[in-house]
Amino acid sequence: MKRGFRLTVNGEPYEVLAAPHATLLEVLREDLGLTGTKEGCDEGTCGACTVLVDRDPWLACLTLVGEVQGKEVRTVEGLAGGRALHPLQESFLEHGAVQCGFCTPGMLMTAAALLAERPHPSEEEVREALEGNFCRCTGYVKIVDAVVAAGGRQNEPV
Amino acid sequence: MSRFRVVGKSVPKIDGLGLVTGEGKFAADYSLPGMLWGKILRSPVPHARIVSINTSKAAQLPGVRAVVTGQDTLKRPYGQFEGTAWSGADMYALAVDKVRFVGEEVAAVAAVDELTAEKALDLIEVEYEELPFVLGIEEAMRDAAPLVHEAIGSNIVHRVDYAYGDVDAGFARADHIREDRFATEPVNHCAAEPHAVLANFERTGKLTVWTSTQNPMRQREYLAGTLGIPQSSIGIRKPYVGGGFGGKHGNVNQEFCASFLSLKTGRPVKIVLTREEVFAATRGRHPIIIHLKTGMTVEGTITARESLVYLDTGAFSSDSKHMLGRMGNHLTSLYRTPAVRTRGCLVYTNKPTCGAQRGFGGQQMRYADELQIDLLARDLGLDPLDVRLRNAVESGDVTPHGYRITSCGFKECLETVAAASGYREKRGKLPRGKGIAVACGGYICGLRVPIESAAMVRIDLDGSVVLSTGSADIGQGSNSMLCQIVAEELGVTFDRIRIMTGDTDLTPPDGGTFSSRVTIQAGNAVLRAAAEVKRQLLQAIGEQRDIPTDVLDVVDNQIVLRDTKRPLVSLEKAVKQCPPLLGTGYYLNRDDVVQMDVNTGAGNLSPAYSFGAQIAEVEVDESTGKIKVEKITAAFDCGFAINPQGVEGQIEGSISQGLGQAVSEIVLRDRRGATLNPSFLTYKVPMVTEVPKITPMIVETIEPEGPFGAKGVGEGMLLPVPPAIVNAVYDATGKFVNSIPLRLDKVYLPA
Repeated sequence: MKRGFRLTVNGEPYEVLAAPHATLLEVLREDLGLTGTKEGCDEGTCGACTVLVDRDPWLACLTLVGEVQGKEVRTVEGLAGGRALHPLQESFLEHGAVQCGFCTPGMLMTAAALLAERPHPSEEEVREALEGNFCRCTGYVKIVDAVVAAGGRQNEPV
Repeated sequence: MSRFRVVGKSVPKIDGLGLVTGEGKFAADYSLPGMLWGKILRSPVPHARIVSINTSKAAQLPGVRAVVTGQDTLKRPYGQFEGTAWSGADMYALAVDKVRFVGEEVAAVAAVDELTAEKALDLIEVEYEELPFVLGIEEAMRDAAPLVHEAIGSNIVHRVDYAYGDVDAGFARADHIREDRFATEPVNHCAAEPHAVLANFERTGKLTVWTSTQNPMRQREYLAGTLGIPQSSIGIRKPYVGGGFGGKHGNVNQEFCASFLSLKTGRPVKIVLTREEVFAATRGRHPIIIHLKTGMTVEGTITARESLVYLDTGAFSSDSKHMLGRMGNHLTSLYRTPAVRTRGCLVYTNKPTCGAQRGFGGQQMRYADELQIDLLARDLGLDPLDVRLRNAVESGDVTPHGYRITSCGFKECLETVAAASGYREKRGKLPRGKGIAVACGGYICGLRVPIESAAMVRIDLDGSVVLSTGSADIGQGSNSMLCQIVAEELGVTFDRIRIMTGDTDLTPPDGGTFSSRVTIQAGNAVLRAAAEVKRQLLQAIGEQRDIPTDVLDVVDNQIVLRDTKRPLVSLEKAVKQCPPLLGTGYYLNRDDVVQMDVNTGAGNLSPAYSFGAQIAEVEVDESTGKIKVEKITAAFDCGFAINPQGVEGQIEGSISQGLGQAVSEIVLRDRRGATLNPSFLTYKVPMVTEVPKITPMIVETIEPEGPFGAKGVGEGMLLPVPPAIVNAVYDATGKFVNSIPLRLDKVYLPA
């Protein structure tokens, strides 16, 4: 039986009808059409579905839609927040941190949460923060470089 | 100062913006009005006759729109790479009469939502008459073994045997001979994106299929064959693809099911495989047993070699006949071998079908070969790196299996990694528990297959340039590389190029992404199309101005006089005064590049060959067996790096993937062949905290056949990773392990 949920995603209020067991990932992708958030495993092991919930990185595939009522959800579509691109997005492009790009939204959101907390993280801190995000293409080298470099140019919080 | 303006310099990924903003769509991101969700019922048993399938309860479930089984299909077997000698038509899009592995596709359902489709699967009643089954390679070869395919009469579906030179005399001449047995386990590609497809069959008879494929033209061919409709009525759309590594290359089952269900219902149907299905049913890397024998002089010169390979293809032959031949081919690809015999058996078992995976044909043999070279060197008291240098192939060599080596920076790669890692200073001087070792790799740069590459380049009305190619960027960055080639050849800046790709209706044919073929094969097609459109442009301008064409050139979007570089007119203005400018080009393999002889594995398979070397440095905790790979130094001869950042990315990604295969990745199967660990919780892929420090270095040799001298780079650097790590663990512990992955129990040394 579906019921109504109110949520705020990328600053926009939404009302959706969803089953109580619907995950945030399903609602974002299927109901709101925000397909930038990816489903890589559906069991919380790959990090591709990472979104920000009140600035913290959450795995949308393990989050029931009811859990985010009254909270602020941010997805990759809202990362730039009015700018053309977020410094992380620019940095990922410059550093060649994107190959297939399927893990990229999750990487970006996890990194955004880190930068909001620690604007100039060390390489070690970046590696620790990205520990739950799987990438098969890059060997992570250029992703870590991109996040460290973005830290240098980050001037406004997300 | 480079003589090039665009190639040889790193460029941002031409289609990267869609990926960082989330706007770019992968197959699972597409939806259509009225869309249904499809699910596939898979066999729970390893080997059985299908006595009956009752779909009536499933069909009656509210929300279910169609249920299909193998009986509804044409029951037409298909083979990989039809039209080649190695294609074996033994596969079905949905099982017909028999199932041969746990996970095989038995039926499919389309319903209004995913949950309903899943519920419907539970209502399909299949009566199986179970048959004896066989899982191990060696068991499957015994006379009394249950037959996976009765019609073939044996589980040994194919053999190769090839000899070159006087093998007995070679061994007689050796001062030292070793014989070793090596084994590898099945591993999955683990592309970040699970396979996904959306199929839409319209009443006009047109079938459009958005799918995560690395080979759109082949996908169209397989679908046409299994659905029994003309290729021209099928349009494959390849959106962004979230990694392939060979796993999105051959299988057609989910594409077939979505298409067939759409055909039955008249509605669009989407199927997205779960991660569990990806592990349990897609075509991972072949497990293999390799017996390898090598003779060497005291100085370290190879005198003769012999290999015997048992290749487990699983339930169907897919690409495996080719793989079997390639194993022998790879044995002689790096080190000069005066005499060799390579034999192999391809064996059916009741396990999921194996298929293409990055480094296909080479990865397992290189692992065995690179380990044995180290063992021989140690037996003889020689430096393993020196032994490699002593035997390394060079430009101009023809290998026993027929590779004609053109550009070759192999020795330079070895010297480069030795110098950069401090190998010679460190070797033999590290404390116990720390190790350093070398291993090498290399790969073909394309194959001769029935579909080769063509391209179109047109100059748009505003002076921008549109490249149209059927090649498939699956994340590796080939779109950017191809656009760089166009920009360089045509004399325009990179920002003026757009690429139209991933649509079999609109683009010229292309063989797709496999065998590291895109750089040379698609690259040359694109280069020629760009040259042709430039010729048209300059001819038109020359005629208008009464200037000989050969004094004109295009530089940075301006038509100029070639000698003085004086600008005459901008491309933007010029194009308005010209007839339509549309250049086409294609690349066909040279005559001396042939399809592999399926019975021997011999042939000059590729227009060029790449080479590389790696040094691994490891630390082993012998009390637990835990291995920490600290550093990998890699050098790769890619001919010429069109996009150096992209080449580095391929090297780094290969090393991470190779690390997984060396130390942690293994698909475990239970006593009935069911996959035990179809999850990243239990199948351990390298995460960011586990990858070592990687130093990628590029060695350029300028390949005569390559566009601007470039060769393929996608696969060759995966090959050295597992043997370099295993050799380094041996150096650290003195414990030799002849199978990967190096699980803790293999490395642990009781005190």
